[in-house]
Amino acid sequence: MRSRRVLLVLALAVLAIPFVVPTVWMVAASVKPLPEIFAAPPSLWTKHPTLAAYGEAFSFQPFARQYLNSVYIAVLVTLITLAVSALGGYAFARIKFPGANALFLVVLTGLLVPSEVTIVPLFQMFKRAGMINTHWPLILVTALAAPCVLATFIMRQFFIALPVELEEAARLDGLGRPGIWFRICLPLAKPALSAVAILTFLASWNLYLEPTVYITSPELFTLPQALTRFTDAYGGQMWNTQLAAATMTVLPMLVVFVLLQRQFVEGLAHSGLK
Amino acid sequence: MSYWTIRRRDVLTGYLFILPQLAGVAVFVLLPVGMAIWYSLNDWNVFTGKQTFVGAENYAALADDPQLPKVLGATALFSGGVVVLNIALGLLLAVLLNRKFRGVTFFRTVFFSPVVVSVVAWTLVWGFLLQDNGGINGLLGGIGIDGPNWLQHGDTAMISVVFTQVVRSVGVNMVLFLAALQGVPGELYEAARIDGASSRSVFGRITLPLISPTILLTVIVTVVGALQSFAQIAVLTAGGPELSTTVLVYYVFQQAFKFNDIGYGSTLALMLLSFVMVLTLLQWQLRRKWVFYEE
Amino acid sequence: MTTRKLLGTVALVTAAALTACGAPATETANKAADAKLRMTVWTSNEAQLKLLNSIADAYKAEHPKVASITFESLPFADYNTTLTTQIAGGNAPDLAWMGDISKDLIAADALVGLTEPLKATEGWKYDDLVDSAAKEFSKDGTLYAYPFSNSPFALYVNTDLLAKAGQKIDPAKLTWDQVAAAGAAVNAKTGKAGFVVRDFDYKSWNTLATVWTGWGAQAWSADGKTCTFASPEMQQAFTFLHDAAFKTKAMPGPGVTADFFAGDAAFTVAQVSRSALLTGSFKFGLYPLPAGPKGKYSVIGQAGVGVLASSKQRDQAVDFLSYLSNPENAAKLAQFFPPPRKSLLTGAQLAANNKVLNAAQLQAAVVDQLPNAVTLPNHTSPAEIAQKGKTALDALWTASADIPAVLNSVCTAIQPVLAK
Repeated sequence: MRSRRVLLVLALAVLAIPFVVPTVWMVAASVKPLPEIFAAPPSLWTKHPTLAAYGEAFSFQPFARQYLNSVYIAVLVTLITLAVSALGGYAFARIKFPGANALFLVVLTGLLVPSEVTIVPLFQMFKRAGMINTHWPLILVTALAAPCVLATFIMRQFFIALPVELEEAARLDGLGRPGIWFRICLPLAKPALSAVAILTFLASWNLYLEPTVYITSPELFTLPQALTRFTDAYGGQMWNTQLAAATMTVLPMLVVFVLLQRQFVEGLAHSGLK
Repeated sequence: MSYWTIRRRDVLTGYLFILPQLAGVAVFVLLPVGMAIWYSLNDWNVFTGKQTFVGAENYAALADDPQLPKVLGATALFSGGVVVLNIALGLLLAVLLNRKFRGVTFFRTVFFSPVVVSVVAWTLVWGFLLQDNGGINGLLGGIGIDGPNWLQHGDTAMISVVFTQVVRSVGVNMVLFLAALQGVPGELYEAARIDGASSRSVFGRITLPLISPTILLTVIVTVVGALQSFAQIAVLTAGGPELSTTVLVYYVFQQAFKFNDIGYGSTLALMLLSFVMVLTLLQWQLRRKWVFYEE
Repeated sequence: MTTRKLLGTVALVTAAALTACGAPATETANKAADAKLRMTVWTSNEAQLKLLNSIADAYKAEHPKVASITFESLPFADYNTTLTTQIAGGNAPDLAWMGDISKDLIAADALVGLTEPLKATEGWKYDDLVDSAAKEFSKDGTLYAYPFSNSPFALYVNTDLLAKAGQKIDPAKLTWDQVAAAGAAVNAKTGKAGFVVRDFDYKSWNTLATVWTGWGAQAWSADGKTCTFASPEMQQAFTFLHDAAFKTKAMPGPGVTADFFAGDAAFTVAQVSRSALLTGSFKFGLYPLPAGPKGKYSVIGQAGVGVLASSKQRDQAVDFLSYLSNPENAAKLAQFFPPPRKSLLTGAQLAANNKVLNAAQLQAAVVDQLPNAVTLPNHTSPAEIAQKGKTALDALWTASADIPAVLNSVCTAIQPVLAK
């Protein structure tokens, strides 16, 4: 029994290599002087660590500003999505109204339409609205279209599994629908809400195609877009700066994740996604 | 208040509650799809803004596009590879990590961690590691293997994009499967063990059927996700070498935004949409055959 | 937050989204009284932007009607896509730097003709322009963009690496074969790379014009209608490159990164303007391109600045351009960008503001090269040609490639685009 367990841990450790190595290598390489990054044979640690690339990341682009852009957009999108999906998911799960099933299918198509289909028309729409080179498209589309539909789906599955008795008791106490939703159901939905929050935040944080299409001014860039722009005046890659910037975008997320991982994994596990 | 007043108010609340989501889908999904259909019937000059109605010309161009068959082949290979590996590996990890031992939390974190890394950062690093003189071949060289030039040959480039995509995203499926596995009642396992069933037949006869709804969900989400993987391809291979990793999504982007052919780009995009729709519908129809709860 | 407030917020956001999308574009009123000019550039170099801003400030001082002139730095890699998106989105700048996108813009009548206004500008001296520089930005005798940068490609040499490998070269009689031989020796002895065509990276094949021109090859005919990529000259040039990549290892193969300016390669072909990347960590030489089988030749990469026809302040923009490019300001710009004016093209003039290169180097590598230089391949639909050509050419970069067949397939791929 014991040897099987050791074998299991060993197998997992080997499997884990490709999951860990890129992140470790990225951090290690970001403090290397440029010529060492491609030195053959490759080494993980450098004898001459330097933080020069980290400073360069900020002087080359308005990187702090871009960081702020990504954070505030992701937070805003997450808040809107939480509200919209909690409302919609609840109604689809609990309230009987004519056409509920058909309308739910209509909403679900939002999950199936690839963003490449809608990006050109959306660009034209936002252009007419004078919203090109603003953050509006990144906020509105993410908060109300595909990632939000997934959130609504998750919320619906959760609310369906919630015992009906709780609501009936509240109704007898004289609470209306909005009151039941807000005071009884939402507090119970914390695991599902946290799962939705994390998935939505990541969806916004990782958005790449949309910003490359909508945003043209560097001070409005978001992080994934900014990461690919560390090139010198002639398009040559500034590898070490790029890696330093990438490290700065990844580490905070990893720290937050490690701190919250129990809540998150448990949250998803108990979100009723069965 | 009479029953009917409450009922009517309830219906109204229901509509109000779903309104934001419904409006979002209508404005940001359905309306653009309609517009894309219109664009596909037109020819555009982006520099002058001139639009000419060309009817089905862009659809006829699909048949004449010498690159399209290769692009579709690459799309099938990439999506198929990602879906199969992602589901299999996700399930394997979930089964291995659905037990109590020291370090289980650590491993769950490790396997999930790439999900929180931004796709672009993740792919940039793999781009480094997969260079001919990069880290992977350095490691392989250390144990006496002469590694291939990963991103420069069609086969290995495809393997590379599939592999990096799976490693980055399998964490989500792992967690979903974990959730499902934890929902399987322990008594069922007990009963099976008393009956003397082998662990393999327990997995096949009890576990798999009971988690089949989750498998359906993950398959749908993974298929849709695989068909939409853009950043990996754009950063890692830019569709090359030759057309080996030019998947449909990337091809759409090239036509519409690089070559400024918005009409043809929209036509290709609609073809992509029809694939997603057909595949999802097919899975939905077939689910009664294998998904446990759907009778 | 109460339920009602929450609902209110959600409704508001949705309503905002709906109305915003239905609203027509708001046209900003454009009075000549407060002209605001915007010019897109791809440099983010502080010194270059500082110079541009100082010229703009001086112009504003003379023209109080002009409220502001902003220089918008767009990333080089996505410059064309971004500029096109801005134009398509009705958000075009008034002026723009342009490289290979210029042919598309000229063909679409999206640029303002400059010949008349520049000739009419007092003291501008139109005859001072070098003809070869103006050619790529002209159509039917009209100039559509001022070619502010005409940077010849040169051969950079890491003399430290050559010495380490015991190699000597004679820059006066240098040929590509000697470069390949020395490069192979450096690779064999030091493990560092031999010669690198900068920015090629087995993708941007148009930069290889810096090599194939020496074999007398061209990508397409002078009128741009016929592909000549499969010509015997081109076959010889690509045989040379293929041998260098796979037989002699004089050139790093695909998927190998080697940066000359980080000290990883013995030679590189790059524009003279890249000398700014030299950090002084090794000894270097800068020479004109080596001779090919067809003898000496020179290649330049050009950039122009033009006025977009969609600009609502066209005349003001043209006026600013004529100021930016007048003899006095052209001399200032020359410290970064080799100018198109005969009067400024002497080694001594160029060296006055160049910290890395001396007058003799600049005379040989820039001034003497310009009059007969050819440009990199330039055509309408540059992105499509680049992409389709690359896709076909990928097949060449394996050890056993059939070179004539691959070059033929390049023509098959790009001929339809050329003929458009």
